[in-house]
Amino acid sequence: MSADWLTRTADEHIALDVDVLFGPWPSGPADLGLDDVRRRLRRSAIRRACAVSTRGALFDAAAGNAETLRAADETLVPVGTVDLRDAVAAGDLLDGLVEQGVRFVRLFTQEQGAEPGHPGHRHVVAEAVARGLVLLHDGDPRAFGPVLAGRGAEVVFLDLHVYLLADFLLLARDEPGFRATTRLLSAPDAIERVAGTVGADRLLFGSRTPFMDVSPQTLRLRYARITPDERRLIAGGTAARLLGREG
Amino acid sequence: MRIIDVHGHWGPWPFHMDVGDARLNLELMDRYGIEAQIVSASEAVVLDAEAGNAALADVLAANPRLYGYAVVNPRRLERAADEVRGYLASGRFVGVKIHTTYARAPIGSPQMAEAFDLVDELGVPLLLHTWGADVALLPELLAARPRLRVIVGHAGGDAWREAAHAAAACDRLYLEHCRTVPDAGRVAYARAAGVPIERFLFGTDSTLIDPCVALGVVRDADFSDEERERVLWRNAVDLFGPLG
Repeated sequence: MSADWLTRTADEHIALDVDVLFGPWPSGPADLGLDDVRRRLRRSAIRRACAVSTRGALFDAAAGNAETLRAADETLVPVGTVDLRDAVAAGDLLDGLVEQGVRFVRLFTQEQGAEPGHPGHRHVVAEAVARGLVLLHDGDPRAFGPVLAGRGAEVVFLDLHVYLLADFLLLARDEPGFRATTRLLSAPDAIERVAGTVGADRLLFGSRTPFMDVSPQTLRLRYARITPDERRLIAGGTAARLLGREG
Repeated sequence: MRIIDVHGHWGPWPFHMDVGDARLNLELMDRYGIEAQIVSASEAVVLDAEAGNAALADVLAANPRLYGYAVVNPRRLERAADEVRGYLASGRFVGVKIHTTYARAPIGSPQMAEAFDLVDELGVPLLLHTWGADVALLPELLAARPRLRVIVGHAGGDAWREAAHAAAACDRLYLEHCRTVPDAGRVAYARAAGVPIERFLFGTDSTLIDPCVALGVVRDADFSDEERERVLWRNAVDLFGPLG
């Protein structure tokens, strides 16, 4: 009998988390500013995080991107966004992000009411892919995956639920740029199945701080029956490569 | 530190996972230090309560660290009372489990009213799958059934705020927070709403979900040592008896 889980170990340390937000969130129990988010990351031994301002997700993409860029430092990597409800000028917004060195663009289809096949979503995806940006994509991979396929897109699905794992593996088999976060891969063999089929480099750690408890996710990674190299890829190695910042 | 898991399963699920062997229950229990686990058969939950309960009885006979919930389908109550009494008399089944979603019998439905009456009469704890705002109906439903004690499985799922207020309003409701989506702050919210530490229970949904997910929620809840003991096992013993 063991209570080792109560103490965080190095196998739970995260070099780069791809799913972090900061700012007001009206439907949440509290608004969480940068200081609180940074405190939560430190407490969870997350060294660096790809973060986006909620202002861009919910209210004003340009102002949100500016806020995100102001927050960037050695621990927070800026993630841009484009509002799918106002996609006409997406190209200009994305050009501005590229000029600032932004590599990841996050889409908020659920908050912005965009569904697969909507013109705005299609346009934004095309513009982002044309600029070689990595899409951090929410929503159901079964619905959005086919729309994103066949473009050579680099996509990280942020909401892959373990119940949808078979569909993701079918998609990922044919799309080398399709990846997902481990946040909802809760079954005892889910991370292992991805690592053993399409490869551990298809998984990234994305905690959704500050909206989720982090220990359930780091513990699953710690106890996953994968190699140390595979764990390093998930805990930040692949994300760093996608950012163009190896190691 | 002792750990008793009051929300486990035995058997396979219709998803892309291979988690149906009781040896996996025990392997995961050993890995995390879980002493005993109360399980329901996945077949009983998803498809056929009678057949699943019967299969689980054989598994429990061979695995003394596992205890059973007899699953009741609220739409198949005709034979359930006699069946469940038989299982409870064996001593290896210690409660009743009802899954409201698979049977499409919401908490406020007439079918659930009859099922609540049955469990009230049986006098054993009920593990109820809760997922949605109808969890708020529980205090009123329990008021009319004085022996009924309900483990609010998944603590309402998305409706964890409603579940917290329900538990604060009724001292026979116990919150159990296992879930794949670990929304932050659920335990703190429930405590602030007035749910005493004596009415939090530890459950995992294992082997559908790796127990470390629920253990992570406990770790992030910042319990004192004494509070953690209550949540991880003492409250379960108070509700179910010594289990072993």
